[in-house]
Amino acid sequence: MVAVKLIPQLISWFGIVLVLLRGFPGLRSVVTTTSISGFAIGVSGAFFMFRSLPAAIPFGAVKSALGVSFLLLWGISVAAIYRSTGRRVTISSGARLVNTSIGAGTGAVLAGIITGLVCACRISGTDGNFPKLLFLVLIAGILTVIALAVEKRLPASLTVSPSGMLTAVVALLLFCSSSSLRLDLFSPLSMKVMKGVHDFVHQFMESVLIPDHLFVRSVVWGYIGLLFGKEVGFWGGMIIWFTPAILIALAINFQRLPSVAHIRQGARRRKLLADAIRNKRMLLITPLFSLAIFAAAAYQSSFPSVEYWDPKPEPVTASPSGEIFIPKKGEINLEDGKLHKYLFKQEGKEARFFVLLSPAGQLTVDLDACAICKPDGYGQAEGSVICYYCKTLIPLDTVGKPGGCNPVPIQFTEKADGVAIDGMTLLNAWSSTVRATARVKEGGK
Amino acid sequence: MATTIIETGGLTRSYGDICALKPLDLQVPEGEWLSVMGHSGSGKSTLMNLVGGLDRPSAGSLMVGGEDLLALSEDGLARFRREFVGIIFQQHHLVPYLTAVENVMLAQYFHSVPDEAEARSALERVGLGHRLKNRPGELSGGEQQRVCIARAIINSPKLLLGDEPTGNLDHKSTVMIMELLKELRAEERFTVVMVTHNQEVAAWGDRTIYLDDGVLVREERTNS
Repeated sequence: MVAVKLIPQLISWFGIVLVLLRGFPGLRSVVTTTSISGFAIGVSGAFFMFRSLPAAIPFGAVKSALGVSFLLLWGISVAAIYRSTGRRVTISSGARLVNTSIGAGTGAVLAGIITGLVCACRISGTDGNFPKLLFLVLIAGILTVIALAVEKRLPASLTVSPSGMLTAVVALLLFCSSSSLRLDLFSPLSMKVMKGVHDFVHQFMESVLIPDHLFVRSVVWGYIGLLFGKEVGFWGGMIIWFTPAILIALAINFQRLPSVAHIRQGARRRKLLADAIRNKRMLLITPLFSLAIFAAAAYQSSFPSVEYWDPKPEPVTASPSGEIFIPKKGEINLEDGKLHKYLFKQEGKEARFFVLLSPAGQLTVDLDACAICKPDGYGQAEGSVICYYCKTLIPLDTVGKPGGCNPVPIQFTEKADGVAIDGMTLLNAWSSTVRATARVKEGGK
Repeated sequence: MATTIIETGGLTRSYGDICALKPLDLQVPEGEWLSVMGHSGSGKSTLMNLVGGLDRPSAGSLMVGGEDLLALSEDGLARFRREFVGIIFQQHHLVPYLTAVENVMLAQYFHSVPDEAEARSALERVGLGHRLKNRPGELSGGEQQRVCIARAIINSPKLLLGDEPTGNLDHKSTVMIMELLKELRAEERFTVVMVTHNQEVAAWGDRTIYLDDGVLVREERTNS
């Protein structure tokens, strides 16, 4: 069961070892030993972190490590494209280190640690225990041996440049983390882009003193709305996501062919050129393959296989005094820690809301919408609720607090046997936070 | 002492029940011009095909230029032919709708880097500088064979194989071709294995071996 749950992670681990073995030719034993050691360190590190710290800390640490590796890839890709233009960048000492046992060992152990952490997070975040983690290390070890055997059978001409190797390793790390909601980088990245554009447009309109609603007609608002749309975040995220691999592929493609003018014999000259061209094409395989992995990670992030708890909203009515009363016990147990959705309709108006018991034991009543996004509602998974529109994860601890993408909290009265909500307050809250900004929200966020 | 470029041990080639080449032990030193003589069906072309990596033996060992041809994959054999061997056929096998220079460039494409200037230069070396843009149908038999020679040497082979290269030519053209090959060999220092049934042509070589019914029956040094 553990192995099934970890299929994307284990596939990634196999790929990482394969790429590392090919990327450090002649250092097979170093790569094998250090990578599996790193994996074991990562798994045991995660195990102890989950034992001694709140879950948010190990998740945050692993996500940061993934973010740093992606930033490193960005840096290397920019340096690679800069070098390919013929300008000199003094990284010769670094380049020399790549092909040493120390370089190979460091790279492999770091990749192993991060993959081990991601795999352990995948199970420790829910039901991880020591025997399962031990089993995980064992499977990783077996996959390492298989990767070693497969790598020996790959054609010798299939070479990997250091930058191509880094691209593939980072792509595989991001792929293996994208199936975990709390480690996924693509959705937060898209959201950051969306919010960045949102803030920029807002700031721009304020700084050039464009009066909002007086002069800007609804057609114009329609176009402005596009800039606030989910698509802007998605495509902006995609550009940031894919650019490093594209830059590295371009840098390899721009590599100059060796000078052959001094070679008198034509056949030798052509053979040298042909070998250089063939080698360049082979080097391109890894970054192009990495692009496919990045695409798979983005797909996994956009269409996660996680099954959200998303109950159909139960219709509720108000008493003659305008109070909606929801009993704590009954067909639905309000205190089971699950999200319970309701739909209130009155005089042609409606509002969708949910009741949830926080981990601290406090009941909270919130609109099934936030003040920013289109009201696509929330689902619940892995200790969080998730905004369906922008895929923001909101830890259960913070549900009930206002601001950002949090569900809009509603005032209610907790009684011994249930919660009471004023119907008019609810409708007004829905109306003011959802419908008031619907014009912009129609275009997006 | 010259190194051995071709070494066979018990080399055999059978086609079903027919044994075209019976176990043959042969050594050819680097740079030698070896003529292979025999009647039709004696196994001359079979030997040439095996040595050139165009066919695989049924048994025995075959080392050419330090490569064990039996151990090579199909891709390995293709690479071997591309980089090591030049072949001149009796029937030319030129592409009829390509010009002389394009036919020569075709061999360059094996390296995926064609060079027209080099192809022109090769044709000039074989005395066809004025026939670059002519198609095979517009060339005489001797000229076509010279295009074949230019095509065969364009990749600087270590081993040049000729399968009756002058079989279709008159005496004058034959002499012209053989002189050209002699000059090129002196310049390029390749080894020549030439199959022929013409004693006069065989005499251009350093050594002649005689095959009969797939068996090496005689061997002699020539005074060329």
